[in-house]
Amino acid sequence: MNVAAPIAAPHDAPRWPGLLPILIIGIPVALKLAGLALPNAWIIFALLFGLMLTGMPVSISLGLTVLVYLFTMTTVPIESVALKLFTGIEKFEIMAIPFFILAGNFLTHGGVARRMITFASSMVGHWHGGLGLAGVLACALFAAVSGSSPATVVAIGSIILPAMIKQGFPARFGAGVITTSGALGILIPPSIVMVMYAVATNTSVGQLFIAGIIPGIVLATMLGLTTWWRARKNNYPRQPVVSWRERLRAFRESAWGLLLIVVVIGGIYTGIFTPTEAAAMSAVYAFLVAVFVYKDMPLSRVPKVLLDSANMSAMLLYIITNAVMFSYLLTSEQIPQELAAWMLDKGLGIVTFLLVVNVLLLLAGNVMEPSSIVLIMAPILFPVAIKLGIDPVHFGIMMVVNMEVGMCHPPVGLNLYVASGITKMGITELTIAVWPWLLTMLVFLLLVTYWPALSIWLPKTLGMM
Amino acid sequence: MMRLLDRLEEVLIATLMAAATLLIFVAVVHRYAAGWPIPVVQDFLIKLNLSWAQELCIYMFVWMAKFGAAYGVRTGIHVGVDVMINRLPPDTRRLYVLFGLFAGALFTGIVGTLGATFVWDIGHTDSVSPDLELPKWLVYLCVPLGSYLMCFRFLQVAVTFWRTGDLPRHDVAHVEGIDDAIKAVPDLHPAPTAGGRP
Repeated sequence: MNVAAPIAAPHDAPRWPGLLPILIIGIPVALKLAGLALPNAWIIFALLFGLMLTGMPVSISLGLTVLVYLFTMTTVPIESVALKLFTGIEKFEIMAIPFFILAGNFLTHGGVARRMITFASSMVGHWHGGLGLAGVLACALFAAVSGSSPATVVAIGSIILPAMIKQGFPARFGAGVITTSGALGILIPPSIVMVMYAVATNTSVGQLFIAGIIPGIVLATMLGLTTWWRARKNNYPRQPVVSWRERLRAFRESAWGLLLIVVVIGGIYTGIFTPTEAAAMSAVYAFLVAVFVYKDMPLSRVPKVLLDSANMSAMLLYIITNAVMFSYLLTSEQIPQELAAWMLDKGLGIVTFLLVVNVLLLLAGNVMEPSSIVLIMAPILFPVAIKLGIDPVHFGIMMVVNMEVGMCHPPVGLNLYVASGITKMGITELTIAVWPWLLTMLVFLLLVTYWPALSIWLPKTLGMM
Repeated sequence: MMRLLDRLEEVLIATLMAAATLLIFVAVVHRYAAGWPIPVVQDFLIKLNLSWAQELCIYMFVWMAKFGAAYGVRTGIHVGVDVMINRLPPDTRRLYVLFGLFAGALFTGIVGTLGATFVWDIGHTDSVSPDLELPKWLVYLCVPLGSYLMCFRFLQVAVTFWRTGDLPRHDVAHVEGIDDAIKAVPDLHPAPTAGGRP
């Protein structure tokens, strides 16, 4: 998927960057062939980055790196690794991903989002920020039934942004609010990125989900405050105060959607469902609500939704398959262990390590989308984090927040592209539009990074950890 | 012929998606319903053993993933890091796109062959899956089939790109129904009152 619009670079654009992949791969290989004792790790990473830079799918670059390694650098029998290719995704936890995607697609096209917006607007719309503030709350509510950020932006943004512009909000303000609030989709459970992290590191999906609740609420509050402050300063339009009777009616109307939050989070917490089962239940529930209760989707649209969900899930599962092989390679080369030993040796403490991890992930967020980053980076960084005594769940939440930031800035921030599709604003303009909220998110990132209790207090208190 | 293959691919993955969802739904409902003390129904439900549901669900999704990945090549959903190549002059970019597509074909071709050998080998043993007791070779048949299909799709896309310069593009920026949504705005919210405009 070429996320960026097909920008045609001019014919006289510099040609030299085209040599980068060849140099990145060529130099280490040449040195190695020349007899230098270069660790295999260097060659592996050079190969991976070189291949990725050529623009081929991330999954293919991962796979080819593993194949080259297998054929040239190791005596590990090829069959044992090939077996990973078949068994890599045979875990029931991974199957939560297609289910959550399916549920999300039913909800996005159904009227659940519209009713949530009406409810949110009746609750907070009369404060400064009006519909903008309602947008933040609606995103937070929708995030609690959807596991993906771009889906949240589509669902809430496509309804609320046109309404905001009609009321006289500058397009930039609306786009900024929704692009960043949509990122709540992967922090507030359920979350596809959290499932990816759980798969890559063998952490419990349930613990991660529960741990995401409080940071999610805190981030929503912070984004809401930023919205409120900006709107008050510029005196943007507000909604009329709504009577409690109206609010109750809006609540009842949106109750079918809100009930899903109880089903997913309650079901997982009480142990009625495993996360995967909860995902399947929410897919069926979302289908019933969209088609039979709210009747926003005709039955004839269902096959299209199924096909789109299958397409998206297959892409993610394909990356997972190849990433599983890659992390097997990392383990057999002892790369994470060596990295951890080196870090401890240099006396780098938790503070420095977390700072480095944040910078690394933010940089990676510039070129890759979240699932690939989590699948590639988590197996490398996780063992180091464990050695340093960082809680696996805390580390996971921190990675997820990093991914959120990456989704909201160019060049690959998916949320930005979705928002630009809705508002018809250019990416450059949107980038300027999001900065107050992006800054808020960076402050929040620091908070999450250096205050573990924020994430692990709730699962600990509930006795899940 | 080509259209038949395309259609078959689409129907297969959409059906597997729906079937797996229903299967898990039924299995969960069954697990709890079997606990309700309704005389005849309960006996019937307890006799119904659905312990194989999880395994079948996994296999369905593995099949869906393999064929869906091939379908994904056709729809251009596989993500790459295209920050650098999009800044190159068109003719150099073209070389890299073709290189990427052939690399994809190469990888899936190798995996398909590995898979075929693997399936051939376990085809001669009598290993079966734990719960369903399906022969293992049948379960893993999706690896060679799916990978070869994917290889074919990469080549197909490469040929189209060579001829016309077009790549399939999964357009995230396009939001379905957005134009209708803009028209349907007025009935959603009451007009603004307090605050006023700047």
